[in-house]
Amino acid sequence: MIKKKVTILNSSGLHARPSAALVKLASKYKSDFYIHMYGYRVNGKSILGVMTLAAEQGAELVFEFDGPDEKEASKNILELVENKFGMLDE
Amino acid sequence: MSGSNGIAIGSVLVLDKKKRKVQPKKIKSDTILSHLKRYAKSKEKFLNELDDLTENLDNKTASILETQKHIASDIEIEKRVNTSIEVDQYSVDFAIYKVFNEFIERLKESGSELFQQRIIDIENIRDRLIDLSCEDEQKLEIEKGAILIVKEISPTDLVTFYEKGVKALVMDKGGVTSHAAIIAQSLNLPCIVSAKEAVNTASSSKHAILDATNGELILDPEKQTLDKFKKEIRRLQKETKTKDILKKPSFTKDGIEFHLRANIEFTQELNLAKEFGAEGIGLLRTEALLYGGITKKSEAEQDKFYEEILSQTEGPVVIRLFDVGGDKLNFHTPDEDNPFLGWRGIRMLLDEEEMFRGQLRSILKVAGKYPGQVKILVPMISMVEEIRLVKEKIAQLKSDLVNEKLTVDDSIPLGIMIEVPSAALLADHLAKEVDFFSIGTNDLTQYTLAVDRGNEQICTLYQQNHPSVLKLIKMTYKAAKENKIEISVCGELAGDEIGAACLLGMGITDLSMSPSHLPKVKELLINRSFEDLSRFSKAVLSCSTTAEIKHLYNNWD
Repeated sequence: MIKKKVTILNSSGLHARPSAALVKLASKYKSDFYIHMYGYRVNGKSILGVMTLAAEQGAELVFEFDGPDEKEASKNILELVENKFGMLDE
Repeated sequence: MSGSNGIAIGSVLVLDKKKRKVQPKKIKSDTILSHLKRYAKSKEKFLNELDDLTENLDNKTASILETQKHIASDIEIEKRVNTSIEVDQYSVDFAIYKVFNEFIERLKESGSELFQQRIIDIENIRDRLIDLSCEDEQKLEIEKGAILIVKEISPTDLVTFYEKGVKALVMDKGGVTSHAAIIAQSLNLPCIVSAKEAVNTASSSKHAILDATNGELILDPEKQTLDKFKKEIRRLQKETKTKDILKKPSFTKDGIEFHLRANIEFTQELNLAKEFGAEGIGLLRTEALLYGGITKKSEAEQDKFYEEILSQTEGPVVIRLFDVGGDKLNFHTPDEDNPFLGWRGIRMLLDEEEMFRGQLRSILKVAGKYPGQVKILVPMISMVEEIRLVKEKIAQLKSDLVNEKLTVDDSIPLGIMIEVPSAALLADHLAKEVDFFSIGTNDLTQYTLAVDRGNEQICTLYQQNHPSVLKLIKMTYKAAKENKIEISVCGELAGDEIGAACLLGMGITDLSMSPSHLPKVKELLINRSFEDLSRFSKAVLSCSTTAEIKHLYNNWD
């Protein structure tokens, strides 16, 4: 199992489209992917789950990867977050 | 509040969706499987609906629908709905309702501004899935061009309504950034949002005008108001069409490039020329510099005029030397019995030494600052000797300027107006003397047909599309081609649809006209192939009357 701390960089936070991008990528991997935030734990492959976090810019989350391809999953998913989900700030 | 600008007139379609009553209903264990299937099926149908919509949409709209797909196929939702049916034995509609609501409640609790808009979308997805799982979709009659008035609407529903003919949207709720408004913009649907009580107020109305630009919904308008808005819609449509045309590059359908330029006289006309996409000034008239009866504007004033035009123009500027006389103005000309056949254009310039030198000096001086942009055009040439004299003068002036240590654009092209039949007939000789021809069709028509265009009694005889005029143009074109010099047309014929088609068909790809004619000429030329135009031009040149030519044009497919 891998656990990583991440911070949301997008100026408008983890809104619908970044959430969709995150879920889309996470769904490619076999590993389970959970997100922890202030005591909540949601399935990172569930867009509604991710949205209910309502993570705004600067929010600190912990990503948890568990499964056969956890290394690859964590690398690519963290990259997506660092690149602000491939979105220009709106 | 305007969500997407524009005006629409149409029948009113009020959609006051009574929310389906979903109640906690328990099912028997032998129907669990069928309920699970109904859920799976509703999801599949919904995703298919979205797929159908995603085609033909722009990226932004498509990505919104993409998000909807993710929500509809969310794995947590799926897990929980299935559990709710299998374990809790709830009916499929309630299972969907309950599970979605768990998430919606959480989103609402979060208090985040981020998702307040999205909650409406999610509720819509929930309701659509419930509808589909119950398989009794509402069938709605939609009139083409209807104005849809709703409390709120999901992007999916909006696109569906749009495809069925809805052309405008009014929402009770929602903000300018709501998904529905964004999609309305991308579909070019006039739309207003946050129109409180619109659904209740409009429920008994039949027709309406939606002026989304001003955020107004006018229910059951009077005829007068209706007419006013109809006119406005036509104006806007024309404007949009013109803008679209002007954005396109100037090529015929089979890829032959052409250039459309503007004829102007005043700096104030530059804006219109630019707005209508003129590639430079094909004819800059300079007679205005002489208005007011002053024999000669100071050189400084002339400099300023040329400077103003050049600094604000991209592309070439063809400056025509003073073309005074005839109808232009009574510039201390002696009384003449036939002013049009009299002392005008180059004939006068060659006599009025001081005025001629003054203008050339000014042009040459300013042109030096804008190398490669200026061309000089000499009006009213009817004999070869005249242009030879002009060339001598210019050479002399250039060397004077060099002596004064001023920059001179040495390669400044010199051209002549072909507007007298003798010049057209001698075009092969004249072509050896100059760098370009510009055909002035207004005078060429009047001299060829011997018709004074200002004489009302014979004004019907003034026909710029006359075969004789077109023959002279063709002759001039041939001489220019053979001598490899440039040729353009700057008379009104270039701004006339028949004329422009025929000229481009001959091979004249450089047309200059009054700026207001640019859009219609461009529209015509980009929608034809050169092959097509050339065929038309050949047919025109074999006509014997203007009426035949008009007939050809009107029956051109």
